[in-house]
Amino acid sequence: MKKKLVALLMAATLVLSLTACGKTEDTASNNDSSSKTNTSSTTNNTSSNDASKKADEKITLRMAWWGSQTRHDRTVQVIEMYEKAHPNVDIEYEFFSFDDYFTKLKTLVASDQVWDIFQLGGNFPDYVSKIYYLDGFVKDGTIDTSKIGDAYLNITRDTEGNLVGLSNGLNTYGIAYDVDMFKNAGVELPTSTWTWDDYAAAARKIAKATGHFGTSSFTSSEFNAGCSVYIGQQGSLGQYGFFNVGLTGMGFDDPQMLTGYIQMRADLIKEGASPDAGAEMEITNIENDFLVTGEAGMTWVAVNQFPTIYDACAKNGRTLALATLPRVTKDGNSGSVIQSSQMLCVSQDSQHKKEAAQFISWFQNSTECNNVLLGERGIPINEDVRTALMANATAGQQIMYDYVTLVGTFKTPEKVNVTSPAGQDQVVDLYRNYIQQVVSGEITAAQAADLTYAAAEKLFK
Amino acid sequence: MNKIKKFFNKDNTVGYVFAFPFIFGFLCFSLIPMFTSFIYSFTDVSLMNMNSDIPFVGLDKYAKLISDNIFRKSLGITLKYVFISVPLKLAFALLVAFLLTRKSKMVTLYRSLYYVPSLVGGSIAVALVWKQIFARRGLINTVLADLSLHTVNWFGDQKLALYPLILMSVWQFGSSMIIFAAGLKEIPQSYYEAAMIDGANGFQRFFKITLPCLSPIVLYNLIMQTISAFMAFTQAFVITAGGPNNGTMMYALYVYNQAFKYNDMGYACAMSWVMLIVMSIITLVIFKTSKMWVFSEADS
Repeated sequence: MKKKLVALLMAATLVLSLTACGKTEDTASNNDSSSKTNTSSTTNNTSSNDASKKADEKITLRMAWWGSQTRHDRTVQVIEMYEKAHPNVDIEYEFFSFDDYFTKLKTLVASDQVWDIFQLGGNFPDYVSKIYYLDGFVKDGTIDTSKIGDAYLNITRDTEGNLVGLSNGLNTYGIAYDVDMFKNAGVELPTSTWTWDDYAAAARKIAKATGHFGTSSFTSSEFNAGCSVYIGQQGSLGQYGFFNVGLTGMGFDDPQMLTGYIQMRADLIKEGASPDAGAEMEITNIENDFLVTGEAGMTWVAVNQFPTIYDACAKNGRTLALATLPRVTKDGNSGSVIQSSQMLCVSQDSQHKKEAAQFISWFQNSTECNNVLLGERGIPINEDVRTALMANATAGQQIMYDYVTLVGTFKTPEKVNVTSPAGQDQVVDLYRNYIQQVVSGEITAAQAADLTYAAAEKLFK
Repeated sequence: MNKIKKFFNKDNTVGYVFAFPFIFGFLCFSLIPMFTSFIYSFTDVSLMNMNSDIPFVGLDKYAKLISDNIFRKSLGITLKYVFISVPLKLAFALLVAFLLTRKSKMVTLYRSLYYVPSLVGGSIAVALVWKQIFARRGLINTVLADLSLHTVNWFGDQKLALYPLILMSVWQFGSSMIIFAAGLKEIPQSYYEAAMIDGANGFQRFFKITLPCLSPIVLYNLIMQTISAFMAFTQAFVITAGGPNNGTMMYALYVYNQAFKYNDMGYACAMSWVMLIVMSIITLVIFKTSKMWVFSEADS
């Protein structure tokens, strides 16, 4: 009896929503928030688990992200905007630093209570069991992708082609540097084809001239932004990668390909041109990186972080600029790829997947929303939003946009892998520890390379 | 009705009702998790697969310990931490407690003041303060620089990094101090008077009367502090994250990393059980040797 009733209700709402959909298609193709409340509440009923649920029933979405204080402030602001426009949606948010976020996420995975909307980066394969694929929502129009190019959707697909999330923006790594520190130390400014040798030499000179660090550290992200890039830069275009494209094994055979890089990192630390493990602990996020505090000449950044630190330094009368990642040889591969900075995902545990997807769609597509976010998570993937933001870009943002355009002109292999395999955290910790052992003279760089390779290889056994 | 009333008024019932919060907590947060962790230590469980079928791996996790360098290193570091920090802490606590036995109005105030570090002791906030004090440009190095001495890179040198952590633990001597102070009060004044008539000086009185009379309390403090030192986690987690080169990788921190960072809950459980065995052995040794140095009035 009960089943029949539910089926009947389903059928009824289906008919209703079909007509509703038909109507909206002509009136509003863009889901702007004012016209949305009405249409979305009708479509709600079709696919949400509970067919008899009332449209104006209050629902709570839980959301979480990691990032800097700037990101926290801006995201909270847009959440409040969304709640105002959708009085039936209440969003409970939590924010963390990068490491704490993933510790918390893991405990939530174990207790089947992952946030409805959560942020993930290239390490999503670890959490794939908790990700609700968005393909269905794109198909039924819950997520509006009319202004998002296919290429931008593809950057957040897994190896099987499922859409795991909607990218928050485009991103790539770069080296942010203090222009005056370079000039005062008599170091030539980096070009787009500078090499790791140039980089190390610059770091040494700056350290010698200023007594500060030549280059800061990118702590655990340095593995992705430096070490694995170094592998991709060797050989012919696309010949090597740290891991293979399918994430089923290593992407290179000779561990000694790592030696040069490890040696350089260890030497710089030993000479005081780069922070040692103790000093590294003082960097808790990009806002107190040694470059920002004026104690280093360079640092790695994910370019979406650049405008924030640019503004912070500008306040103190310092000018930052952005250089490409150094290469192994001047005319070699750049190793840089434009990737998704991070994405918002819908969780399998969510009771309100559709509403969560609606929020994500709004988050990426609404110009109003992105005028607050200002591309802090990366360059928006929606072309209208991108145009709107670029029109009002600040100096720091302009440098970021130009930089991404520049990196976009570099030759990249047809297939690249920007995700990391499950368990990479431990490899990164071991790798960083081996560098410290090279610094203290316990092992040689060549041994460190072998050990790192062996540790990484173990992931696939 | 009367029966119910009688039941509620029984001593046993009252006792169980009042003990219920503890019994409940002990069961839910100690006994059951301990039992679960023992079973988990034979499986390949992680936070990610906890809700699906958990593969049983027998003694694999224990076998893995043998070849794990970081496990060995962390065990060594934890032992070093325990052997240095516990005696120092107890000596300091006893010294302060002894000084505060004088009859003065300020004693209560001082006692409370010295207890404060223990109140805030294990907290993240203190660890962060400690991190700042010993930072490259922190308080200690600024003072050293002002005295035109060499600054010390405390947390950058793997041989040194453990000592600030030990110092932090020694600084939190308050709870042992309170127990010592209570013990000192129990020593009859007449012993001291008799000794003074015999012409014993302060040192002799301390080593011949105070210390032997206090030895049961020293034993108690020694065991409690040893056990809690083995479980030290916060300082290493907040201040150094185990670095440099795992020089401050405390055992508890490594267990935490394995469980929550590297997704190997089974291995973490196995490590915890090994720690239990190590702690039991050390506690047992302390108990066995205690007969040689703990003085009880009943024997003499």
